Amino acid sequence: MEQGVQYLFVGLVLTGGGMAALSRYVLYNIIGLGISLFGLAGLFLLLGSPFVAAMQLLIYLGGITVAIVFAMMLSIAMTLDPPPRTPVKTGFGAVSALVFGVGLYGAITATSFAAVAPAPAEAWAVSHIGSALLEHYNLVFETLSVVLLLAIIGAILIARPERGDKAA
Amino acid sequence: MSLESFLLLSLVLFCLGLFAVLSHRNLIAVLVGVELMMNAASLNLMAFNRFRVTDPTTGQVFVLIIIGLAAAEVAIFLSIILNLYRTRRTIDAEQLTELRG
Repeated sequence: MEQGVQYLFVGLVLTGGGMAALSRYVLYNIIGLGISLFGLAGLFLLLGSPFVAAMQLLIYLGGITVAIVFAMMLSIAMTLDPPPRTPVKTGFGAVSALVFGVGLYGAITATSFAAVAPAPAEAWAVSHIGSALLEHYNLVFETLSVVLLLAIIGAILIARPERGDKAA
Repeated sequence: MSLESFLLLSLVLFCLGLFAVLSHRNLIAVLVGVELMMNAASLNLMAFNRFRVTDPTTGQVFVLIIIGLAAAEVAIFLSIILNLYRTRRTIDAEQLTELRG
């Protein structure tokens, strides 16, 4: 049963990734990204962390993907017939992705990761994440909130039309 | 699934993202590729967190921070795309060549 669920999620991740990488149409790319993110959330659940899986669904699938869809609708990307990719670019992209993948595969198979004793079940409780964020990782947490605030202000400043810009 | 199979899945996902970034012409599709690569990294961290770490809080906090930074990055990227579209009327990566030396 669990094996089947695992293969389902792995299939979702790979199908979505393939759609995102190979399709010419931007809408299909974004839908593929969404499918892939959903599968990843399922894998996070199987890896023992329902909290991170829920955050993946809420922030990534519910926030980021929807924001990308909005940007696509506000620009012309959806209505235009997409220009074909040049074979040179596709070829170089495929070759470099393959070379990178083979190198990384070699690194994975050559390394033996030292096994450790599995953590006790209560170490996975969500309350541990909360106290770690507010105690041990407090500085990172606060810095992240400042980064998000600056990103929002910067995004508004960049996307706002100039004074007297009739096109907007 | 063992640690190695998760690492291989994340490797495949990362390579798909790399190919998308390098080959797509539309800037939004390039952004989708970047997101794929970021998620491959998250999957890697979660797998190591499950199988090779004594305190499983570390990896989960790491992935949460990655998700937050990805949100900030997407906000900036999308506003740049909208600004480019308004001023240049294109988001084709091959026509944005003002910085060509």
